[in-house]
Formats: sequence, structure tokens, C-alpha cells
Amino acid sequence: MTAGNLDATDSRTLPGFFDALADGDLLGGVCADCEQVLLPPRPACYACGSRAVDVEPQSREGRVFSYTEVHTPPPAFAADAPYTVAVVELTDGGRLLGRVAADYADVAIGDSVELTVREPTAAEREVALDYETDWPVHIFELR
Amino acid sequence: MPEPVIASVGASSLGRTDLPGRDLFSVALAEAFDGLPDPAELVEAMYVGNQSESYEHQIMYGTLLAEWAGLRHVPAERVEGCAAAGALALRHAVKDVRNGEHEAVLACGVEKMTSAGTSGATDALSAAFDRALEQRSGITAPSQYALLAKRYLHETDATERDLAEIAVKNHANAARNPRAQFPKEIDVATVLESAPIAPPLKLYDCAPVGDGAAVVLVTTAELAADLDCPQVRIAGTGASANNIAVAERDMTDIAGARIAAETAYEEAGIDAAAVDIAEVHDAFTVCEALLAEAAGFAPAGTGYQSYQAPAERADGWTDVQLSPSGGLKARGHPIGATGLLQALEAYEQLTGGAGDRAVEGAETALLLNEGGVADAVTVGHVLTTAEAP
Repeated sequence: MTAGNLDATDSRTLPGFFDALADGDLLGGVCADCEQVLLPPRPACYACGSRAVDVEPQSREGRVFSYTEVHTPPPAFAADAPYTVAVVELTDGGRLLGRVAADYADVAIGDSVELTVREPTAAEREVALDYETDWPVHIFELR
Repeated sequence: MPEPVIASVGASSLGRTDLPGRDLFSVALAEAFDGLPDPAELVEAMYVGNQSESYEHQIMYGTLLAEWAGLRHVPAERVEGCAAAGALALRHAVKDVRNGEHEAVLACGVEKMTSAGTSGATDALSAAFDRALEQRSGITAPSQYALLAKRYLHETDATERDLAEIAVKNHANAARNPRAQFPKEIDVATVLESAPIAPPLKLYDCAPVGDGAAVVLVTTAELAADLDCPQVRIAGTGASANNIAVAERDMTDIAGARIAAETAYEEAGIDAAAVDIAEVHDAFTVCEALLAEAAGFAPAGTGYQSYQAPAERADGWTDVQLSPSGGLKARGHPIGATGLLQALEAYEQLTGGAGDRAVEGAETALLLNEGGVADAVTVGHVLTTAEAP
């Protein structure tokens, strides 16, 4: 797969990735040479440098790898604080950071979670850049 | 190949100041050139480490500070790499002198972080993280490092109390540093009982927001001798980028920092055991633990013992002293200037200018300056005394 003809429908671009995510499909890059999972997909593998990157659907289930609670948010998210964020290791091997729809005290390393997707709220659209306005927001829910 | 040395250093006061960035720079420059010819008579190029235009709505910092130094018509540019910008500027100056392009280059750093309060700084710093998935999830600098800290405490025997002890140690060092933003000792209870920022990190685990500027004059050894400056050799430099998203990295083996340190050691012809003092990027207490391991000072999982006296640490630790300046935690962390403040501390330690915080017999220093969360980019430098082998 070459990247020379990338356009916004290609899931190795952010618009392409978020279009698929809006439909509930979490796509990852998978290196054809070393099998590294890349979230989001991109033209080159960071692990081995290969540009032979396939795009494959990824499991939305995973486990909490690390987590914390944001008490001092950026101004755009002030109304949400405190909120829980985590790095999640997905079943297919990729790792992804996102919010967790649970109180910090109710989360532990190793907990099973599932990635869900929703449309951005009016407040989120307000702070989005023009090209981000319709990008969906991903949230992890405890299983 | 000419050998680059640090011939002079200077800094502004650090913390909440009433001076904009260019004026902070003027203060730092005046200290560095006290007793020397004017910059226009010496300096052939300059690099300015600067994190963000959002604090002062000002880019073109290379041009601006060159002009304010009286240096029109030299090559001058801003260097960007979040909190590693200062050491990147130093690295560029080192390379220019090494390759014979210039005999004297100014490495500068400046940040006016207090211009928009804590929320302004939080917002500006969040731009260092992946926009698409991480910024849009509301991540911040403290919460990024909290993810590392949570994982580190999970994988090792370290406790929140150990991290607090690192802050206590660095405040004790800063209490003897007249340049420090917080020159005062604190106790463990103060850290443990401070406000939660992003658990397990609390307020006193975090380096402060503050203003500051620093200047390091890099020259050939010959020029420094002609100027009769005490000189410190820049024996090695190394740098490494790593993933923008911390989620995709090894969160406890800080590979980029390890590569930057090892590259600098190799250039200097030393190993980690030869390092007497290290200024590492303790933006948060856990960083000092992680970087002690990445730099080869401590076996994996024992870096948190950095606050202990060398004889008390686990087998395999070197006898290095970490963050004699007080570190980012207590000396201060004006983002773009930090890498140069690290170099300033090493210069003072290695030239007998560190007063009563001097580490006895120190001849070799490692500097590790990071930008983004952890090793998104890391720059390492090895500095040695002029007499060191």
C-alpha cells in the first residue's frame, strides 16, 4: 500500500479514520512486516519503519493499562472536571488514550472496558477546529 | 574538529515576574556578558528555545532577541520542542561550533508563562500532545505524567511517599540555590497532603509555572581561553524523538531518554558510572525516577531511590547526585529556558561557582531535557571540566 494518493477518504488520514469511527468502526494500521498496531492508522510503522501498513478493524474491547483523574483541565473542558482518563490496551494489541465514563475511584488497572463512540456535544463543537467539527468522540465504558 | 565549550552563562530571575520575555532575556544576557566584550563583537549566530506563542502572541523570537542583543544580521531562529526547546537550542549551537561554522553561538531560552494564569499555561502546554485523540480527550501535562506515575507505582516497589521524598530532596537543594523559584525546604507531609492534580500526582509533585530566561555562550575552547572565561567542555550530545502519543510507548522504559543519554555518553567516551551530577527533567517527581533508570544510573524499578544517599540505594546504583539545582520542581521550569538552566547549573558546579550547594569533586555532568510528555523528544548533553580526561 502506498501513501502517494492519500485523500480524505483514506483511513490512514484523520478524516478517513474518524468517518469510520463515526460508523462505529475502530480502524487500526497493522504493519505487514512486524505486526505493530498503529492507532490511528498512518502511512508508516513507528516500530520498524516499514511503509507496508494495512488497515484493519480493531476490537473495541480492552483493559485499563493506566489511568488518572484530571482536576486541572484545559479551559475547553473546565465544565467536565474532574474526569477520568485512561490508556487502554485493546484486545488486538493497540493502545489508545481516552476518557473513561466512570469515577476514578471505581477504576483499576486491568479493568475490562469497551470503546464507545458518540457525536460531539455543542460545547465540544464550539472548541473544535473547523475540520474537526463533526469528528466523533470516543469514550471507554467499564464492562 | 573544534571542541565546543560553555564560556559563560546568565539567567533572569525565575517565577512570577513583571517583565515580558524579551526583557527577561536582556537580564540573562547582561549577566552572561558581564566582563566580556559586547555580544556584537563575539556572537555569530543564535538559537532561541521557546515553547509557545500563546503566552505573548509572539513568534519570530530568533529575530527579536538577536535585535535586542544588538546582533542584527546574524542567523537567528526560534527552536521549538516544547520543554526540550532549550537543550535543542544548545545542541544546535554545539553543532555549529563543532563543524567549524562559527566560533561563538548564543543558545537562549525564554518563556513568559504567567501571562494568562494557570489555565492559560495548561492550555498552551496541552498543545504538546496529539491533537486528534489525546487533546480532544481533555488530557493535560500533569495527567499525562500521572499515567506514567500510576503505571510506575504499579510495576515497582515505589510508593507515593517515595515520589514525595524526591520533591523534598529537590526543595532542599533549591534552598541553597539563590536562583531558585522556590528556595525553601518542605516536608513529606506537605507533599502528600497537597491538592490532587492528577492522582497519584499532587500539587507538590509538579514543577511550577513561572517566567524566566537563560543564556549560554558556546564557543571554541580557544576563544574561551582568549576571553579568560572559566570553561566547561561539551563532550557529548544526543537526541531522540519518540511517539507523540504516550499510549503507544513503553510507559516505564523511557527509550528516547535512554538513547539520548547513551549517544551523549558515547560521544564523550564515558559510561553512566562516570557521571557525578545530573540535571534531569523532573517536571513531575516520577520523571526523576524514570530518568535515573533511562540514564543508566539505577537498575530498572529502583530509580525512585534518587532521593537517598548513594550508600543507601539499591545495588547497581551509581553514586550520582540528581538535580543539585533543585530541579524543575524547585529551581523552576520556564519551559523554553529549562534546558539552558540545566546547563547553567552544570557550568556553575563544574567551575566552582555553585556556592554551598557544590557537589564535591564533581567533574562530569549529564543533562536530560524532555519535551512533550516524557520522551516525545529528549536531548542529552555530557559536560565535563576542562581538566577531565
